[in-house]
Amino acid sequence: MLAIEAITARLRKIIVPAVAGAIALGLGIGVALWDHHPSDAAALLALSLPDIQGTPQSLSQWRGKVLVVNFWATWCEPCREEMPQFVQAQRELGPRGLQFIGIAVDQRDKVVQFARELDLNYPALIGGYEAVDLSRALGNRLAALPFTVIIDRQGRIAHTQLGALKPGQLRSIVGNLL
Amino acid sequence: MKAADERRRAFTGLVVAAALAAGLPALAQVNPLPPEKAFRFSARLVDAQTVEARFMIAEGYYLYRDKIHFAIEPVAAGLTVPRLPEGKIKEDQFFGRVETYRGDVVVKLAVKDPKPGQQIVIAAESQGCADIGICYPPTVQRVTLALPVGSVVPDARGDSPKKSWFN
Repeated sequence: MLAIEAITARLRKIIVPAVAGAIALGLGIGVALWDHHPSDAAALLALSLPDIQGTPQSLSQWRGKVLVVNFWATWCEPCREEMPQFVQAQRELGPRGLQFIGIAVDQRDKVVQFARELDLNYPALIGGYEAVDLSRALGNRLAALPFTVIIDRQGRIAHTQLGALKPGQLRSIVGNLL
Repeated sequence: MKAADERRRAFTGLVVAAALAAGLPALAQVNPLPPEKAFRFSARLVDAQTVEARFMIAEGYYLYRDKIHFAIEPVAAGLTVPRLPEGKIKEDQFFGRVETYRGDVVVKLAVKDPKPGQQIVIAAESQGCADIGICYPPTVQRVTLALPVGSVVPDARGDSPKKSWFN
C-alpha cells in the first residue's frame, strides 16, 4: 500500500509538469495555427476579381453571409484535397447563409477544367498579385496555399488558416457563426 | 541529493512533455520555412563557361521537376539547360504523371557566349510544397557570378539576392 502510494506520488510529480508542459505547448501551437484575426474584412470584401467567365465579381455582394474565402490553385494538391468538403458544405449549409468563395492563384483554363471536374458549386475567382498581397496582409506572410479566411455576417474576420481545414474544424467554426 | 532528485523529476517531466507534444502532427506548421530557405538555390562556376546550379531542398519539402526554369542575365550570354535529372514519379489525379525532387538537385548549365570578366546572373524559378500540406507560389532566386578574366576560375559565391515572383 505504502509502495503504491509512493509510486503514485512520484508519478504525479512527473505527470503533472509533463501534462502542464504539453498543454502549454499545445496552446502555443494552437494559437500560432489558428491565428485569429478579429479584425475587419473590409479590404477583402472591397476586392473585385474576374470569375471564370471573365466577369468582375465584387466580394461585397456576399456581405451579410458567413463567408469562407479560400485561396487555392490547381497546382496545390493539399488545396484540391480539401475542396470536395467545401462543395459538400456549400450544398448543405448554403441555404442557411454560408457562402464559399474560391480565389485561384492560377491560370484560368486550369481553373475551368478543375471546377468542371469537381462540380464546383461556388464562385471560382481568378486572383492575381493583388489577391496574393491581400492574403499576405491577412497573415499569410509566405503567400502559401491553401489559405482560408472565414468572415462572419458582420464582416469581421473570425478565423484565418494556412493549410487545409479539417472537416470537423470547418463545421465547428462555421456552425458558431451561422 | 534532494536537488538532484528535483532536477531529474523536472527533466523527466520535460521529456514526457516533449514526447506528448511530438504527437501533434501540426507542430511543424507553426513555422513553415520561406521558399528561399525550403528550396535554397546556389550556383558556382566549375569552369569558364559551366555553372553548377544546385537546389538544396529541406527535409519535408519537395519541388516539382517541370516547374524548374533557369535563365541568364544578360540574355545575350545565352544558356544551355540540359535535361533535368529524373525525379520521383507520382500519379496526380488532375495533372497525371508528375515528378518531384527531394534532397539535392544539381544541374550543369552552359553559358553559350561567355565574355571574360563578365558578370552574369543565374535566375532559377522553382515551385514546390511542404509535406505538412501547403504549397508555395513560384519563386525566383538569383545568384550573381563573375566569369573569369583568364582561365582561372574565381571564388564563386552562392549568396542569392532573391526576389519572389509575386513581389
